[in-house]
Amino acid sequence: MNKENQTPEAVFVASTEALEMKLTQIRKAQAQYATYTQEQVDAIFKAAALAANHARIPLAKMAVEETGMGIVEDKVIKNNYAAEHIYNHYKNVKTCGVIEEDKEFGIVKLAEPIGVIAAVIPTTNPTSTAIFKCLLALKTRNGIIISPHPRAKESTITAAKIVMEAAEKAGAPKGLIGWVDVPSLELTNMVMKEADIILATGGPGMVKAAYSSGTPAIGVGAGNASAVIDKSADILNAVNSIILSKTFDNGMICATEQTIIAHKDVYDAVKAEMIRRGCYFLNDEEKNKIRKTMLINGALNAKIVGQRPVTIAKLAGFDIPDDVKVIVGEVESTSVDEAFAHEKLTTILAMYKAENFEDAMDKAEQLLNNAGGLGHTASLWIDNVHEREKLLTFADRMKTCRILVNTPSSLGGIGDLYNFKFAPSLTLGCGSWGGNSVSENVGVKHLLNIKTVAERRENMLWFRTPQKVYFKKGCLPVALDELKSVLGKKRVFLVTDSFLYKNGFTKVITDKLTEMGITYTVFSDVEPDPTLLSAQKGAEAMRSFEPDCIIALGGGSAMDAGKIMWVLYEHPEADFLDMAMRFIDIRKRVYTFPKMGEKAYFIAIPTSSGTGSEVTPFAVITDQNTGTKYPLADYELLPNMAIVDTDLMMSGPKGLTAASGYDAMVHALEAYASVMATDYTDGLAIRAMQLIFKYLPTAYEDGANVQAREKMASAATMAGMAFANAFLGVCHSMAHKLGAYHHLPHGVANALLLTIVMRFNAADKPRKMGVFSQYQYPHAFERYVECAEACGATGKDDQEVFENFLKKLEDLRDAVGIKKTIQEYGIDEQKFLDSLDQMSEDAFDDQCTGANPRYPLISEIRDMYLEAYYGEKK
Amino acid sequence: MEILFQCPNKVIYREGDYAVKQFDENYSTSDVLNEALNQARVEETGLPIPKLKEVRKNGEKWEIVMDYIPGKTMKQLIEEDPSREDELLNRLVDIQLSIHATTAPVTMNKLKDKMQRKISESKLNATTRYELHTRLESMPKHKKVCHGDLGLGDIIITPDDKYYIIDWAHATQGNASADAARTFLKFSLTYGEERANKYLDLFCQKSDTAKQYVQRWMPIVAASQSVKGHEDEMEFLMRWADVVEYE
Repeated sequence: MNKENQTPEAVFVASTEALEMKLTQIRKAQAQYATYTQEQVDAIFKAAALAANHARIPLAKMAVEETGMGIVEDKVIKNNYAAEHIYNHYKNVKTCGVIEEDKEFGIVKLAEPIGVIAAVIPTTNPTSTAIFKCLLALKTRNGIIISPHPRAKESTITAAKIVMEAAEKAGAPKGLIGWVDVPSLELTNMVMKEADIILATGGPGMVKAAYSSGTPAIGVGAGNASAVIDKSADILNAVNSIILSKTFDNGMICATEQTIIAHKDVYDAVKAEMIRRGCYFLNDEEKNKIRKTMLINGALNAKIVGQRPVTIAKLAGFDIPDDVKVIVGEVESTSVDEAFAHEKLTTILAMYKAENFEDAMDKAEQLLNNAGGLGHTASLWIDNVHEREKLLTFADRMKTCRILVNTPSSLGGIGDLYNFKFAPSLTLGCGSWGGNSVSENVGVKHLLNIKTVAERRENMLWFRTPQKVYFKKGCLPVALDELKSVLGKKRVFLVTDSFLYKNGFTKVITDKLTEMGITYTVFSDVEPDPTLLSAQKGAEAMRSFEPDCIIALGGGSAMDAGKIMWVLYEHPEADFLDMAMRFIDIRKRVYTFPKMGEKAYFIAIPTSSGTGSEVTPFAVITDQNTGTKYPLADYELLPNMAIVDTDLMMSGPKGLTAASGYDAMVHALEAYASVMATDYTDGLAIRAMQLIFKYLPTAYEDGANVQAREKMASAATMAGMAFANAFLGVCHSMAHKLGAYHHLPHGVANALLLTIVMRFNAADKPRKMGVFSQYQYPHAFERYVECAEACGATGKDDQEVFENFLKKLEDLRDAVGIKKTIQEYGIDEQKFLDSLDQMSEDAFDDQCTGANPRYPLISEIRDMYLEAYYGEKK
Repeated sequence: MEILFQCPNKVIYREGDYAVKQFDENYSTSDVLNEALNQARVEETGLPIPKLKEVRKNGEKWEIVMDYIPGKTMKQLIEEDPSREDELLNRLVDIQLSIHATTAPVTMNKLKDKMQRKISESKLNATTRYELHTRLESMPKHKKVCHGDLGLGDIIITPDDKYYIIDWAHATQGNASADAARTFLKFSLTYGEERANKYLDLFCQKSDTAKQYVQRWMPIVAASQSVKGHEDEMEFLMRWADVVEYE
């Protein structure tokens, strides 16, 4: 007959050809089963579990008869457990299609079957493990091919068949479950090679073969559990539980106790209770006989596995009463040469006396390291209420993936009988210590491919600004009145520079403070580009003065210095290197900025219109030794109050008015084009641009013009608010480094670079675009055109509008006396070129680069610098 | 004819400067040629062994002709003077390690293949064979020269205290611990537990090998030995072979 048409039952797998055919059938059935719904699968899962449970007694009898190992009554429990507890634990678990959905975050998780599972079944639990693995396969819509052990093949196959028939009756496709009828290493290897995943339970050789097959494998390892009995333990409970556990199926569960390590204070009591309950303690001669019988050349004698004590004694050549439950050998050595130290898989226990708890843990550890069982199970008997610390030390020390407390370990390790959040399983992962890929009890989740559908979501955005921003010509004393009336401040530390101090700018403040009866001191040593050293001096003075309010008065330098002193005053331990670390997202940075404001309230009062520092979370400080600038950014650095009083700005010199005014323009433009721009920052930025275009030339030409000064003050603070939230771009990155390397005033450096950077950003096919979820496509050009139109630039099309806008910006630059190129500022050409590569790399790495709408290459930054130097593309 | 050595199906006699190993008529031609080929391959590695001169037919019997090495085997030396046991065991292990330090020619038979075949040919039951196949599969593959049956009778010490290693019929390339397990088994069967343990301790100590690692091979070499089928050894070998891996 045509082989292809053979029914699944008709294929008897005793050769590679037959196995090939069987695998084809399983694959076909599995492909069909993969389309089943959760309801269909759950019905099949239930029917199969019921059928397996019905067959628990005949299967137990068969297994004992065939293998000659274990106890029928206990195997009944194992079969019952494999059917019932597995069903109960997974009956409501979703394993088909959508298993999880999070609408808010746009995440959907889908469970898909893996395909065909290769199941290697051991001789010790042949029927229960077969039931367990078949049920897991059914629940996860996988096919399964079972490779039984020759010693237990009939019972294994029968168990699989019962599950299969019930599943088919409940609607599963025919041929979903298959097995090797005549097991051989060749067929086992082929099963493992051809399957999609291996679920290997067996000895180290089998597990190693599984991992070497090239197929993803979940293998589990050998056990060798020690039960440590602390002096605080409940001896009655401990001894009887261990005997129950050890005698269960004649000791064949891999998590079973192999050794008792009893504290010397309770050793005799433990021993007495053991004898009372039917344990037989060997004399020295008998111990040697057992050693020789148990291990042959270091390997476990197959004849003793799963046997009763009386049988084992007979094999060793002596007689003991028939009703002995466990044979116990009292031993001392934990080395590999001590046969009693090994896993015995039968009714033999080793017993050690420990000097103290530490010694008990040492012994348990040595046994794991010397005689095997790493990663599997350890057990502890202790007063778990009063000796919590010991319990945790034990857990910390044992390199095992299961640490059971006051629990019979064989029945505790498989889960859901003596503990109820431990997945029920007959396949116990041992982690990397046991050479495994999993360290927990194996369940359905290990047999599914979980697909995650992630929809695009945008970041939460924010708008943050000082709690209080007061402005208007002459508002300073009015605003300061709050220090007493609202805030109840008593000691004020005023930070400013010597020019402002000598020229009486601080007088209006100090007079007001005196009037209110507030103590104050003035620190007037702030220099341009403030150094860490001077900030430390200021902080020192603060520490001795102990202010509850700090007022920083001046331009960017004084306000930045004030912020740094504030940090040093509140957190002397702060590390600037960590604070200045570049980040991608200010909310996800590694460094957590210390909480500010616990000692002092911070008020910023600008005397020029430009930096916006009074409303920004930024400050720059220079290391006087290395010249390195640390740009700090964190909303903790936001002043608590900003006071913008035009009176303080009326005497600003022309150069400063021009440079800082143009700086404010660049702030507004970069914030508007930033990938993090929002509607909130856009409004502020646009208005700032309009005001600067209109009033900067007047403020420059006629410093005494109150309206121009006041509008420029508003524009600078509004631009500050915009970039405090939307951040800046590569123009500022480049200006920072140009300033640092060639000492150009910050505003001038920005002005020289601005239009070059805008052209660069406006490209409709940039080499790389900025990375931010909100930023969907390169649109800097459109954004600039919006600015242009808002500022009155016109043209026949957008391109012309853009060009006219650039011209308008350059005209403004000319109008306030800023030159056109870096060269014109007298920067030596050779010196510039020598610094160019490093400067470009540093600018690339500047914090401002991240928000730029076009992600720049270092070489592109270099080209822009050259263009700004010569005034034309090079 | 000066008989140098005799056992049931072969005899070694001297012929002038040569030693001639003569096989019975029922010895398979391929086994004889394989032994000669093994010897030739080992000779190429530079190990001190008698040089192969000729393979010929003497009537119905195959013969391998090689250099005659004057001297006595270690076995003879110990029989003559039992106090030399420790010294000679030490030397045996050193010589065995020097063999293992030699990389085998790629054409040499592989130990693992041979063991797989022997396990399949053995009369052990299917369960035990399956266990042993699985165990063997998990053992590391190496490319060291393994004598395959090294004992005290296989090393000749010449009057000027040089040594030669003979009998390369079972040579393969593979894992040195398997070779040590084979020697341990041979010692256990020939001299008993005490000398065997002495040998194993020396081997493990000198080669810095964990004893368990050599022990992992013992069921496998026992199964392989059982194929030869000496009745009196069977119970002993079965006991060694019928073990399980931990689960």
